[in-house]
Amino acid sequence: MSIDVKVEYRGTDGVITLGGQLDASAAPAFKSAIEDVFNGPEKVGRLVILMQDLEYMASAGLRALVFAKQKAGAGVPIVLVAPQEGVLETIEMTGFHHSVIIEETYA
Amino acid sequence: MEPLNLPATLDALDPIADFVLEAAKAAGLEKKAAYRLRLAVDEIATNIVTHGYEEMGMTGDIQVYADMDEESLTITLEDTAVPYNPFEQDPVSEEELQKPLEERPIGGLGLFLTIRGVDRFSYERVANINRNMFLMLRPKEGAPDVQ
Repeated sequence: MSIDVKVEYRGTDGVITLGGQLDASAAPAFKSAIEDVFNGPEKVGRLVILMQDLEYMASAGLRALVFAKQKAGAGVPIVLVAPQEGVLETIEMTGFHHSVIIEETYA
Repeated sequence: MEPLNLPATLDALDPIADFVLEAAKAAGLEKKAAYRLRLAVDEIATNIVTHGYEEMGMTGDIQVYADMDEESLTITLEDTAVPYNPFEQDPVSEEELQKPLEERPIGGLGLFLTIRGVDRFSYERVANINRNMFLMLRPKEGAPDVQ
């Protein structure tokens, strides 16, 4: 399954860029990117996930977000940027939008 | 469409998704409906591979069928893993969906998305086969594009 995962720091933001298809076979790559962000040298102020090129996300992706929330702790917000229609619908149907911030663009 | 027959591993998810999206296109489903159907089938196929086969130390195949008539498109998944009835699992409750992520139970989201996503979802055990069926109603001919 083709998923593209990139990890970087932009200031104190830990930024993960996702592209392609996030199904159960691709979720471990996303999870390991989350670990990379929080185990890295910088103290992360926000976890930002750029989703504009993510075409599909299964519940395995939602579980990775729960994992991210646990890693981030209460003081570090999770920002999802530009999720596509289907991905956004899944996030809203499952109530995840109450626990993350959804932005149209990365500021 | 010719049915698919694949070894039941996570590598099967990709071709299953292609198959479902192609069937959805042939049935004229809208983009959103096609996405939901693909999601539903993907979630249950994932459960079959991981809970039905791998956790039991079993190997086997998974079959995917597409059947279309004027009214609807039905995708059927068949496997010969242990009996695994999705209706005996608990999907997450509305109450749990309102909870912050850190207080959530980890399971049940896939089943919830499956049940919510398709027009009809059914399971039956026939002889040694698990059969999961996903039905989507097709848009009516001549229906207005915008509601």
